Amino acid sequence: MNKKQFIQLVDYLLKKDLVIAPQYDVEENLHLAELKSSEDMYLGTELPIDSWKFFVLPPDQIMFEYQGDKMKEVLPKGKIQILCGVSILDMQALTLLNQVYEKDPYYQTIKKKTIIIGTSLVPEGNLNKFFDTFEENKLEHLQFDIFLAVQKTGYKIFTGSEDGQRLLDKFGYKDYQHIEYAGPIREEGLDQPMLDVKDSMQNYHNQKIWDDLGNRCIQCGKCTIACPVCFCFRMYDQAYLANDSGKRSRCWDSCFYNEFSQVAGVAPDAPKHHFINKTAEKIYFWYEHHFVRTPESFSIPGCVGCGRCTRTCPADIDIKQTVQDILKARQQKINKK
Amino acid sequence: MHNEYKTYNCKILKIENEGSQSKNFTIGSPYSDFSFSAGQYVMISVPGFGEAPISICSDASESKEFQLTIRKAGILTSKLHDMKKGDVVGIRGPYGREFPADLGKGKTILIVAGGCGIEPVRPLILDAVHNPKKFAKVFVFYGARDESSLIYTKEYAKWKKVCDLNITLDNPTTKKFKKGVVTALFDLKKLPIDTITYICGPPIMYKFVIEKILKQGFAEENIFMSLERHMDCAQGVCQHCAVGPYYVCKDGPVFSYAEIKNFKSWLSPI
Repeated sequence: MNKKQFIQLVDYLLKKDLVIAPQYDVEENLHLAELKSSEDMYLGTELPIDSWKFFVLPPDQIMFEYQGDKMKEVLPKGKIQILCGVSILDMQALTLLNQVYEKDPYYQTIKKKTIIIGTSLVPEGNLNKFFDTFEENKLEHLQFDIFLAVQKTGYKIFTGSEDGQRLLDKFGYKDYQHIEYAGPIREEGLDQPMLDVKDSMQNYHNQKIWDDLGNRCIQCGKCTIACPVCFCFRMYDQAYLANDSGKRSRCWDSCFYNEFSQVAGVAPDAPKHHFINKTAEKIYFWYEHHFVRTPESFSIPGCVGCGRCTRTCPADIDIKQTVQDILKARQQKINKK
Repeated sequence: MHNEYKTYNCKILKIENEGSQSKNFTIGSPYSDFSFSAGQYVMISVPGFGEAPISICSDASESKEFQLTIRKAGILTSKLHDMKKGDVVGIRGPYGREFPADLGKGKTILIVAGGCGIEPVRPLILDAVHNPKKFAKVFVFYGARDESSLIYTKEYAKWKKVCDLNITLDNPTTKKFKKGVVTALFDLKKLPIDTITYICGPPIMYKFVIEKILKQGFAEENIFMSLERHMDCAQGVCQHCAVGPYYVCKDGPVFSYAEIKNFKSWLSPI
């Protein structure tokens, strides 16, 4: 498919569906937003500020509405959305979210109405770990509908789902190759660097790394919002003005907030108990989620290496540096033995 | 698609005061094949007041109804304390891994509870009471703040028929109870080395109790603890209850000491 044909495809999609794509705003920041014209779409190696999780895991979502003691399930009612220009790193993030929310009716309802058009472009400044280069054989472990492998003159087109095939057929493009999704786990399992980080965190703990980070981190929680795979949430009830009615919702949460680990105190007016208190404990918990718990639960990396957290951190905490420090602590202890 | 967050409306069948701060709610089971094991919990909610995990504290052989003992501690529990017999609460579950009671078959078991921690282990005590031959011997070490915070007092006579029940209070007002902490009881009672221990209490208690138990030479695999954490989803997704690689909501709340000792955050984080 040449570039002109791809623009035609986007124009074709814009005629009837909601298309979300990276585009510059008036202040020249690269955001993900509703595409009005195919000319506005940015397809390149700059990393968008937002994560695609905004569109599949909304920041705030109604789960139930109640009237008296009757609770009614409320499933998301959005129309079809096309996420266009998802980089290979962000495709990996979405594949992980699909796993985490596999049994979640809210997520799955949105996912069913979502078409993902991925690209082989690797964002600049990534951790150079998981996708320093694009190889076609990595595609079978990613969930997408259409994929553009960027070539010198245009794109080689792959489909990853029947929805993707149908879409291209209707558009009238036949020259695609279909990839059967083989599940998220690669035959060789986790990459060695990922296994090393997990092993370091579990078996070669170095308190100094975390104390240093704890001194710098200001617990703002921006990294948890920027991260494409931070998926914590909390649930809350809210009453409507009408008598005895209201909603039960869930919204994004952040492990940097004090309430995150809060449980009851001994009485309503007594101090609450927190299991995670110090800043160092919070930042450790965050790294533990990405580099220990997620690989342990799903056998896929819990960090896609996009670097959004580093870019957004007001305290200049660099995930790449921290990962190097974690690995160094392990190597030093191994050498000593 | 199945929605695990959906709650079942269950009727409150009975409400009794337990101690000065808690109420014991007997609740009709949510569905016909409902069953649970000692150590499991349910998510209880009242529309508009939120949802919280509460351990089931009744006899696990009874499946038509179950009991939750709830202390007034926050918004939801205060609302529950205002409710009356016949009112309806939302229930989902049961969730979580149970206490491995069968591991104690034919052996001496020790149940250590601090304050509200007596609630999740009560099904174990009732199991022993109803099956007096199941365990060789049952010790219960139960520590509480004062006499008014003791719960299930009406049952103690029944418990004592099978269990060696020992109660210590931080501030006793009468001579009926010993002053002290549960750990002091380890110096008074002789426990065989293959004793299976089940513990539930506040974090600070674990530290001292575990220290005592390890001194006795008990195997780390034979020490089981129920942990309390903030939970929202109860399915290992929302991350609030995470400890090391585990989720207390689905991998726990019961863990053996051997499983969890290396994860610094199980008791107090790193």
